[in-house]
Amino acid sequence: MAVSTEQIASSKKTEPKVLLELQGIKKYFPIKGGILQRKQSDVKAVENVSLQLYEGESLGVVGESGCGKSTLGRAILGLEELTAGKVIFQDTEIQDLKRKEKLKFVKQMQMIFQDPFASLNPRQRIGHALEEVFTMHTNMSAKEKRETVISLLEEVGLKEEHFYKYPHEFSGGQRQRIGIARAIALHPSFVICDEAVSALDVSVQAQVLKLLKSLQQKYNLSYLFISHDLGVVRYFCDRVLVMYLGNTVELASVGDLFERPLHPYTQALLSAIPRPSVNRNRTRVRLQGDLPNPANPPSGCPFHTRCPIATDRCSAEKPEWKEYEPNHFAACHFAGQSIHQ
Amino acid sequence: MAETATVAAANVKKAPSKEKTYQVVAKRLLKNKLAVIGLIIIVLQIGMAIFAPLITSYDPVKQNLDASELPVFSEGHWLGTDNYGRDVWSRIVFGARISLVVGIVAVTLGLLGGVTLGLLGGYYKKLDGVIMRIVDLLFSFPGILLAMLIIAILGTSLINVAIAISIWSIPSCARIVRGSVLSIKEKEYIMAMKSLGASDFRIMVKHILPNAFAPIIVFATMRMATAILSTASLSYLGLGAQPPTPEWGAMISQGQAFMWSSPHLTVVPGIAIMLTVFAFNVVGDGLRDAIDPNMDIQ
Repeated sequence: MAVSTEQIASSKKTEPKVLLELQGIKKYFPIKGGILQRKQSDVKAVENVSLQLYEGESLGVVGESGCGKSTLGRAILGLEELTAGKVIFQDTEIQDLKRKEKLKFVKQMQMIFQDPFASLNPRQRIGHALEEVFTMHTNMSAKEKRETVISLLEEVGLKEEHFYKYPHEFSGGQRQRIGIARAIALHPSFVICDEAVSALDVSVQAQVLKLLKSLQQKYNLSYLFISHDLGVVRYFCDRVLVMYLGNTVELASVGDLFERPLHPYTQALLSAIPRPSVNRNRTRVRLQGDLPNPANPPSGCPFHTRCPIATDRCSAEKPEWKEYEPNHFAACHFAGQSIHQ
Repeated sequence: MAETATVAAANVKKAPSKEKTYQVVAKRLLKNKLAVIGLIIIVLQIGMAIFAPLITSYDPVKQNLDASELPVFSEGHWLGTDNYGRDVWSRIVFGARISLVVGIVAVTLGLLGGVTLGLLGGYYKKLDGVIMRIVDLLFSFPGILLAMLIIAILGTSLINVAIAISIWSIPSCARIVRGSVLSIKEKEYIMAMKSLGASDFRIMVKHILPNAFAPIIVFATMRMATAILSTASLSYLGLGAQPPTPEWGAMISQGQAFMWSSPHLTVVPGIAIMLTVFAFNVVGDGLRDAIDPNMDIQ
């Protein structure tokens, strides 16, 4: 119990300050059909997510493909219109703001994209791409912009000579550094990393993660680190949110979650991490079947169709999102019960 | 050998290259032999159009019935004369003015309209339905009929022909641009620009349009050919260039009556049209490749 609060407190020195709060975020994508293109049903990509993100913290979001983690990130930035819920950033509700009013929050919230090959305009020299950020948000002169961009390039480990190059002339790792440079150009306080290192080689991953960490310390950044790689999340994050089919399943500090997972889905995920160990006798829990269709989610607990310990209650009643231990949230009727039998 | 050496030297060079984008494009374009041939033809034609009075010794519309239907390589008339004794070379040279101006004006206007509609329709879902129905409406008219209708409203003149042809190009251009925009706007770099707070206008003009250039350039050059041919068709129907104006298409249609006795009256303007069309097509292809930064300079 004390571990998690102490961890957060010690890393922040003072009481953790809430930077971003999500209240009941929902994002449904309508499915249209028929001759008149009427709405027939919804794909429930994100279902009722509420959480708080503290200043200077890294919150990992993990889950299978299609569980809504990327949609959650985009919804926070307003790249997807919310179906319901509130995004409160620095004590201001930002979900309904017009573009002009939102610009000053845009400077504060940025995103690093998954695919470094797709997130840069192939027809724009990277120096100009970075200058454009300042053209949009500042009144810098051409010379100031150029100098700022060059120092920015150096900050992320690139060189001045890269200024006039096109994206295709870079390697994946270098491109991701450009993406990072673009995201931190305006000194934001919150950055969403949407699978930011998934497309990179393991050795390059480590370099980019180090870069992200050093930038975090330098600018007191908060990260929402979306990933499916539990190893990376364990190394990089302070707290972890587990999602399943658009629902939040478990939220805890890294230590708690990896040592004492409460939800059977988290337990199954953790059992899938390969561990190079000879002494430890561990059982691998394999989940049966695929992720259910989010357009037609199962009744009750969304996980009951694949849960090894599900009972009749699970298919009838949706479990509540509860704080089972201090700062350790989960949504399960049988939280804490082991699935390893 | 020498080329690789210079490339290596360029890589070693410390200062960032200050080459402007258009310089790179020009360099690449000049490496494409076909495109260079096309460029030479276009430049020659523009020169011909500008210096027409200097390189011809006859008035293109003045009749000389004593010297009618002279064959090619006759003395004083190296491309022969037509049934009214007008010098074919003079008419071809002066005709270049009309064909090029009508072609360029028609394609430019058509692109302006088509690209704007295509960008708006592809980018804004709400406008898409309305714009595409207008485009469908324009499509449903046969091209020549539409052009005739427009000329009937505006009156017979070459500029009106250009306007008519440009309106006729709008729907297909809008379709092509819309298709590209639809696929480009889903790209992650567009999402990235949105997350940086870029305005819709900036995204459309600076990020979507440059990436849709390839089909637009191909369309423009092909359309240039169609525009010249359509001007000819309309002139044939009596709606474009009025006789005795030396217009290539009109020359073909007038010469067609003498197809057997004096084939040069149709063949010569035909070759002129063909060369122009060919030149614009190869330059367009070359340009499309040259502006693509992913193509290697080697």
